[in-house]
Amino acid sequence: MKVKFFATIREHTRSREIDVTEQGCGSVGDLLQYLCNLYGRGLCSLLLEDGKLGSQIIVLVNGRNVVHLRELDTPLERDDEVSIFPVVAGG
Amino acid sequence: MISPEKCIGCRTCELVCSFTKINAFNPKNSRVSVFSYDEAAVSVPMMCMQCEDPSCMKVCPTDAITKTADGLVEIDERKCIGCKLCVSACPLGNITFNSYEGKIVKCNLCEGNPKCAQYCPSGAIEFKEAAPGTMGRKKVIAEKFSELFGEVNE
Amino acid sequence: MMFGWTGNLLRVNLTDKTIKKEALCPKDAELYLGARGLATKIIMDEVDPKVDPLSEENKLIFMTGPLTGTFASSGGRYEVVAKAPLTGTIGASNSGGHFGPELKYAGYDGIIFEGRAEKPLYLWIEDDKAELRDASHLWGKNVFETTDMVLEETAEDARVACIGPGGEKKVLFAGVINDKNRAAGRSGLGAVMGSKNLKAVAVKGSKSIKVADPEGFMEACTDARTKLKEHPVTGGGLPTYGTQILINILNQSGALPTRNWRDGGIFEEAEGISGETLTEKYLVRNKGCFGCNIGCGRITRIPEGKFESFGEGPEYEAGWALGACCGVGDLEAVSKANFICNELGIDPITTGTTIACAMEMYEKGILTEEEVGRAIPFGDAEGLVELTRMIGHREGFGDMLAEGSYRMASKYGCPELSMSVKKQEMPAYDGRGVQGMGLEYATSNRGGCHVRGYLTSPEILGIPEKLDPLVTEGKAGWLKTFQDLTAVVDSAGICLFTTFAIGLPEISSMLRTATGINATDEEILKAGERIWNLERMFNIKAGFTAADDTLPPRLLKEPLQSGPAKGKVVELEKMLPEYYEVRGWGVDGVPTAEKLEELSIE
Repeated sequence: MKVKFFATIREHTRSREIDVTEQGCGSVGDLLQYLCNLYGRGLCSLLLEDGKLGSQIIVLVNGRNVVHLRELDTPLERDDEVSIFPVVAGG
Repeated sequence: MISPEKCIGCRTCELVCSFTKINAFNPKNSRVSVFSYDEAAVSVPMMCMQCEDPSCMKVCPTDAITKTADGLVEIDERKCIGCKLCVSACPLGNITFNSYEGKIVKCNLCEGNPKCAQYCPSGAIEFKEAAPGTMGRKKVIAEKFSELFGEVNE
Repeated sequence: MMFGWTGNLLRVNLTDKTIKKEALCPKDAELYLGARGLATKIIMDEVDPKVDPLSEENKLIFMTGPLTGTFASSGGRYEVVAKAPLTGTIGASNSGGHFGPELKYAGYDGIIFEGRAEKPLYLWIEDDKAELRDASHLWGKNVFETTDMVLEETAEDARVACIGPGGEKKVLFAGVINDKNRAAGRSGLGAVMGSKNLKAVAVKGSKSIKVADPEGFMEACTDARTKLKEHPVTGGGLPTYGTQILINILNQSGALPTRNWRDGGIFEEAEGISGETLTEKYLVRNKGCFGCNIGCGRITRIPEGKFESFGEGPEYEAGWALGACCGVGDLEAVSKANFICNELGIDPITTGTTIACAMEMYEKGILTEEEVGRAIPFGDAEGLVELTRMIGHREGFGDMLAEGSYRMASKYGCPELSMSVKKQEMPAYDGRGVQGMGLEYATSNRGGCHVRGYLTSPEILGIPEKLDPLVTEGKAGWLKTFQDLTAVVDSAGICLFTTFAIGLPEISSMLRTATGINATDEEILKAGERIWNLERMFNIKAGFTAADDTLPPRLLKEPLQSGPAKGKVVELEKMLPEYYEVRGWGVDGVPTAEKLEELSIE
């Protein structure tokens, strides 16, 4: 699946987009854990707080915020697109 | 310490300074002033640099201006006669006569806890004890200001 | 003696060139706070809602709030209010920078302009001295030139608000621009200023603003400043990336309206016009408005090439309107067009969306190359920049575009292609993918607008709570609260962006300690509701009805074709009756007599 990073998240990942083909990323929770292992503690502390979805990030699966889906239990398929943002605002 | 490259030109320092001095909001009564230059995209907060060798002190006929042991250039209001020679002498224009308060005013570092540094949102104004190292840097920056103002005035 | 407020207004009659100082009515100040609220109250009292907005019967008000010029973070705001030429509704546009505080330091809460000058004039205020000066030599000059020339003639440390050629030529969406780059941009208030032959207002002040409870006020301000600094949005995302940060998240959420909203909510070139790209390639430095500890403003430079330029912005709505909405993915062209909008004094949102409408009309064969003077397919970066310039000068086809998309499209028999509400173009959130924003556009008192109750914040950004953008239930109640709170913020004299980190308790606390009024949080929110209802009453008296609380057919009938909101239209018919109900209005959308009495509106 395609995972896209935005704004300050890119400071941790040093890339805008990666392809995750890893087995075992069947849910958003699995994916975030995988990204934790890949990018280390700095990003991990944003993604997960005490094993729960971080309060200062927004995770979209195919454009839908996972808090309106099944949060960390949201299932992921091979052709899904995941976008990860810090909380942002403006207008 | 002043870092013009960090200044966003918001003038929060002017607001909090005026409040500290006169208990109301009025940038005209602030001891710090921010100058913004659109074309150069730069803003510079200007205030008394507490010079090592203060010109204002040297010209003062009543010795009202002194340099304290911890580096502060201080005005003794009882001795000051308001002649404004110090205003003319300061090469940076950082000491002024305030007609509202009826006295010579300049930054006095808020007795060791400068409010401008405390509230500066971008870290452009920081307060650090004047260790020899920072004093050197302070001078360099003061010179940069002089150059900058030289250019702007031309 | 008033605290927070200065207690003085300046009334300037341009017809007979008289200037009078008047006392601010303390009761009105308490009921309507300041800025947007107070100015609307004066317009309601003094202007017939049915007047032609560009006639001399309309009045133009510049008004600050009780927190303007104080230590309240972002207290640099003022509001320009008049009956709006673009919409015919009440027009109120808010701006930051340094002009508003300077007006208060000169000793005034606001200025009321009435009548019309025979020849171009500008107003110069220095504390108690105020004079009208000849501005013939400034007529035709752009905003930057005008500002510099007025500063030269008055005082180098004065502050200037002015119009550019757009306002002079009564472009229906001309703005009033202060401090060169800060705009009271929407609804065409610059055209009202132009119609009065008023080119600029310069002000310099040396007076102090006193607050009722200095210690309590400093404590309240420090608390708010700390919260703004520590919040990841106001202390992180906004200062780092500016408002353009929103391009990517709206795009990924499938709600970034693309090519005049025709191609749904996903723009394939979004990354190219994003805040990330702006910061990486073109940002020179951040810039803060007066007293603001967020500092979201951008000074940007396009260093070379055909769009070489230097200025401020673009901000999100402008970047979207001139970018995604026109199908232009070239940030250099978008920035250039945005700078031109500032120079000529026109609203970049309506500029971009009107050009987008023309591009669609061109692609449909309704507009021809001969008529426009060039081919204008979607994505034409050079066309975008050229048409922007032509609008500001009403040159060639720019004269038609200067009427806004609704009047243009109507003239060619296709009003449905104008993506506007009450003739003002909607900004950068597709209501089909953000249902609450759909309701917000339909009910905004100044037509299509995002700053009258920003439900994007809970629906997309999750602040202060996470609401599902595709759900309609409960949005009416949320919108009412947001609309009322926004009216409080605008009227207090601080920036709407503070509300990402602080809310009613913090704002009320600053208002109480600044002014000394003894009002509860609920009573202060009630002032917001009062302002909202007063604006509504102005519009009703101007002839608007519930039938105008609607959206372009595209949002109601054409479902999105892709993205997370695929298949969705705005379900306005579900939300609107509920909205009238929570507002305490009749089914006809008119505030009931009981509601008006509850709010002390005569």
